[in-house]
Amino acid sequence: MTDPAALWVNGRPYSTELPDDERLLDTLRWRLGLKGTKEGCRTGDCGACTVLVDGRSVLSCLTLTREVSEEAILTVEGLEADPVGRTVLEAFVQEAGLQCGYCTPGFVVALTGLLKERPNASPEELLEDLQGNLCRCTGYLSIRRAVVGLAKART
Amino acid sequence: MTFTLLAPATGEEAVAALLAAGPGELAVLAGGTDLLPDIDEGRTAPRRVLSLRRLPWRELNWTSTELEVGALVPLASLERNAELRRRMPGLFEAVGAVGGLALRHRATLGGNLVRASPVSDLIPILLALEARVGLYGAQGERELPLEEFLQSPRRTSLAPGELLRRVRIPARPCAFRWQRVRPANDISQLAVAVAYDPLGGDWRVATAGVAPLARRAPGAEAALHGVAPSDAEIRACADVAAHEAPVRADRRATDPYRRLLLRALVARAVRAVRDRPLESSS
Amino acid sequence: MIRADAPLKVRGGVEFGVDLETPGMLHAVLVRSPVAHGQMRALHLEEARRSPGVVCAVSHAELAALLPAGSGDPERPVFPQEEVMYHGQPVAAIAAHTLAEARRAAKLVKVAIDPLPLWGDIESIYPEWPGSDEGNSPRINAHVHARFGEVDRILERSREVLREKYRTSGIVQMALEPHACLAHVTGGHWRVTTSTQSPYGVREDAASILGLPEERIVVEASWVGGGFGGKAAALLEPYALVLSAAADRPVKLQLSYAEEVELSRSTLPAVIRIESALRDGRIAARRVRLLLDSGASLPGRDFATGYAIGFIAGPYQIDAVELEGYAVRTNKPPFGPHRAPFVPQCAFAAESHTDGLARLAGMDPIAFRERHGLRERGLTPLGQQVGPFGLHAGLARAREMSAVWRAELPAGTGIGVAVGFWSTGSSAGGEIQIRLGPTGLVLETVEAEIGSGSVVRGLVVVASRSLGLPPEAIRVERTDTARGPMDSGVYGSRTTAALGRAIQEAALRLLEELARRVPGPDELKLDWTGAQVRVRRGPHSVELATVLTEAERLGGGIATQGRHYGRTGEIDSGRVLAGSFYGYGDFIGAVQLAAVDVDRETGRVRVLRYAAFQDAGRVVDAATYRAQVEGGVAMGLGEALTEETRWDAEGRIENAGLLDYRVPTLLEVPPIHVEAIEGFPGAGPDGAKGGGEPPVIPVPGAVANAVCDATGARVREMPLTPERVARALKLI
Repeated sequence: MTDPAALWVNGRPYSTELPDDERLLDTLRWRLGLKGTKEGCRTGDCGACTVLVDGRSVLSCLTLTREVSEEAILTVEGLEADPVGRTVLEAFVQEAGLQCGYCTPGFVVALTGLLKERPNASPEELLEDLQGNLCRCTGYLSIRRAVVGLAKART
Repeated sequence: MTFTLLAPATGEEAVAALLAAGPGELAVLAGGTDLLPDIDEGRTAPRRVLSLRRLPWRELNWTSTELEVGALVPLASLERNAELRRRMPGLFEAVGAVGGLALRHRATLGGNLVRASPVSDLIPILLALEARVGLYGAQGERELPLEEFLQSPRRTSLAPGELLRRVRIPARPCAFRWQRVRPANDISQLAVAVAYDPLGGDWRVATAGVAPLARRAPGAEAALHGVAPSDAEIRACADVAAHEAPVRADRRATDPYRRLLLRALVARAVRAVRDRPLESSS
Repeated sequence: MIRADAPLKVRGGVEFGVDLETPGMLHAVLVRSPVAHGQMRALHLEEARRSPGVVCAVSHAELAALLPAGSGDPERPVFPQEEVMYHGQPVAAIAAHTLAEARRAAKLVKVAIDPLPLWGDIESIYPEWPGSDEGNSPRINAHVHARFGEVDRILERSREVLREKYRTSGIVQMALEPHACLAHVTGGHWRVTTSTQSPYGVREDAASILGLPEERIVVEASWVGGGFGGKAAALLEPYALVLSAAADRPVKLQLSYAEEVELSRSTLPAVIRIESALRDGRIAARRVRLLLDSGASLPGRDFATGYAIGFIAGPYQIDAVELEGYAVRTNKPPFGPHRAPFVPQCAFAAESHTDGLARLAGMDPIAFRERHGLRERGLTPLGQQVGPFGLHAGLARAREMSAVWRAELPAGTGIGVAVGFWSTGSSAGGEIQIRLGPTGLVLETVEAEIGSGSVVRGLVVVASRSLGLPPEAIRVERTDTARGPMDSGVYGSRTTAALGRAIQEAALRLLEELARRVPGPDELKLDWTGAQVRVRRGPHSVELATVLTEAERLGGGIATQGRHYGRTGEIDSGRVLAGSFYGYGDFIGAVQLAAVDVDRETGRVRVLRYAAFQDAGRVVDAATYRAQVEGGVAMGLGEALTEETRWDAEGRIENAGLLDYRVPTLLEVPPIHVEAIEGFPGAGPDGAKGGGEPPVIPVPGAVANAVCDATGARVREMPLTPERVARALKLI
């Protein structure tokens, strides 16, 4: 059914038409205009589409929007207004933890989720949990510098 | 729209919906991380999808001897369980080997087992641990050893109208060793799980990537005795494992290479269990 | 100093090709051949056209009515008329209101293709080295041959000869943003916005493929989510353009990752036979025979072969060298450029072989390379005189570092060295316009930032130094090919080097013009107040606004142009027997060290440490340079260890997708020590040399040499997957 649905994204309500089979990725990008979340492989192998659902990172390409329509969704566009998200953005800017920027939203969202879930995680644990996010430009090293810097600043 | 979605609030309703559906008409959605790509690729084309999201099947209960896991527990919840990490390091590692964390936040243990995938990293460790599955149907719940539940690739003993309800996993010392061309985000060329049963004083060895579906390796198990098998026993066990498996070549590895990996990884997994100090169950 | 695009990118705020959207836009899909080689018998689009939501469907038959000239280039047909040349080759395209509708319709296209014999694996086509008359065979896309010195005689008479055969695999660029574009043909204007490294390159290609005059086509780049050579030529644009012409609506076309692997023009497999004679610890002669899979066609004909093969000789002084290469036509997608096209593969063979020679000579591998390494004013195998070259300085640093590693790392760790050389592609031309207005300087270019930082950082730093303005006073404005200055593209490690020179020229003109308008005895300086540009001569300072003409005030400032068309050196044409070989512009040496741990039971290789000593000429921006080297080495590690495209017996790629095409993940890349070697100037601004491609080149060789150092086993096939290493270790 293409019934209207109410969604809660980045702290504000949205109302939209929503077919049952629609992926969260497509709802965000093409119905809500939140195109910061990137479409990658659509098979769960790259992490580019990562968003937070109830504070946990999920792959929006493999999530039906209806399955999460009652939960709070946070995308890259909402990080600025989130205290943890803001520190993550700042760290990635300072260390230039990016080149082309395509994988970047997935990385900063995933890291924000991790820091919320495991505030005392060591840099090694954080990096381990970021392995599902692929980057083709940086060799991950500037990303690592951003993550390590953040983890150290928090402890 | 390719399918409509229903999300019953109780197990009874879910079973009723299952029983009312014609063959191939309805697919069950747990985490969705396998089902949705299957639908995209046209491997399955259900007209209706039954979401289990409202069912409260999310227990994670410890007893002194076992762990009970509700079918809808996301894999990430298992890896975040400190007791699991301590008491069953092999299961902890196998869970962490599945995809990336964002995938594990939605992928469920139940979904993984019902898929009966030949490349599952979780099946070998649960076989080695002699896990049992609880199946929920119109007649109530029945329990089966996982080994019986898994029939062949992508086929299980779920009867029509049945859903996987829970998994009971004996808490035993165990280890998981696997190899991939790429260490993360890849499918294992070979996976080996080993568990030690302190009560019986004997070993369980299971392998994946070698047969159509993960399987126990009875010959290898028989080669090990007691809590501390000697290096020679372990070598013999690894040799038997490498010979007895009906190994198969595919684009991830050739037959001889899989046998080489079997020998190396079986020995490493057994040594890991033998050499790790036993945890108390407190 | 933060990277100017970072604040936007971390917020997901840049518009990539995949993000393009416009009202009334249709979505397109390509209908692709199910067979790799065959004769088109019939193609029926009727059912697809009747499918819900479909607006138009086009194949070869429809082109005559859509293209003003009736057809395009017969050598590069949009859709095949008769012969299908590779699996997945587009035979038709469909545009519909939604992507799902277009996909559904694509399944309804009936295509009948009579299979033809498959030209698959090059070694099946040529199990032995092709005979000398094979150059004209329809199976050969290109043949190149060069020789000097008495190669045959030396190889025959020497007692110590190392003869080896290396195999390299196909790879794909796999930028995380797939190819995507949005085309709109309206009122005779063929316009496309696309994720590209080269708007002018796409325009030229699309014009030739569609048989249109170049001026009819306007190309604009979006932000680009990685290119690596894969977005330097037209790929999707012709399809989107003809669909838009047919539908009279804007059309969006984007590839899936599986299509990225199947359609990308990239490096294909090769067999490299290499033999060298050793006399008194010196390489007395070397013969290289390259059999290169060039797929359905080889754009640029023998450039790939003739350019790359020169690198297999290595940056070494050898008195007799023979180089011969055949580019074999097969049923695979056309060969195309991939970050230092095919040169990491050449260096893998050359540097593994050279390591073997050092062993044979009983010499330390670094000392052996120092003995042979080319120096300034020496001659390349093709007879070109070498310019300033930092190879030896890099080798000296590698020697020191390797000694430190030996002392620190546990016994059994393998340490390998490899060198690569490269030349900035600055001979491809470029122009830029700069405009100084009251509120800052604008760099106008058609080029998009593709990630390397060369546009948002490299060009800005050069402009900043040329005019004495801080980077925050400088903006890059992207424009399209209808308005923007011609430039050949963001590739070939050329952007900062070539466009930077153009900026210097434009800046000089700008300062001359200002000097005329603000006369005075003191030197002219520009000041930035934080909001405004001022012109100062000694004690006199005026606002820039006051010296602008009315027209300039309206137009945003004083505009000047600069251009740079670099030169390449001359080779000795007397050494060329067949085909074309190419000279280099400048000479970039890249020396690298890898430390690896090899699992002796399984063959698994783990890279523990890495160091790159790279001839930079002069570093323009340290952070950007380091990032380029790190990213390049990481890409090389993928090529060395995990990445390969694999074809099945029917000519289909069996690992199309990100799960099975294995790009490196986070923990596979070790810390990388990056050191820029300065003092050997190149063709770029203040002597800068290109930095983006050299770091990839030595990696597979360095890793293979480290594996050999650890185990004594030589792996002659890349990537060094665990199973290949296990075979070399004779475990199976």
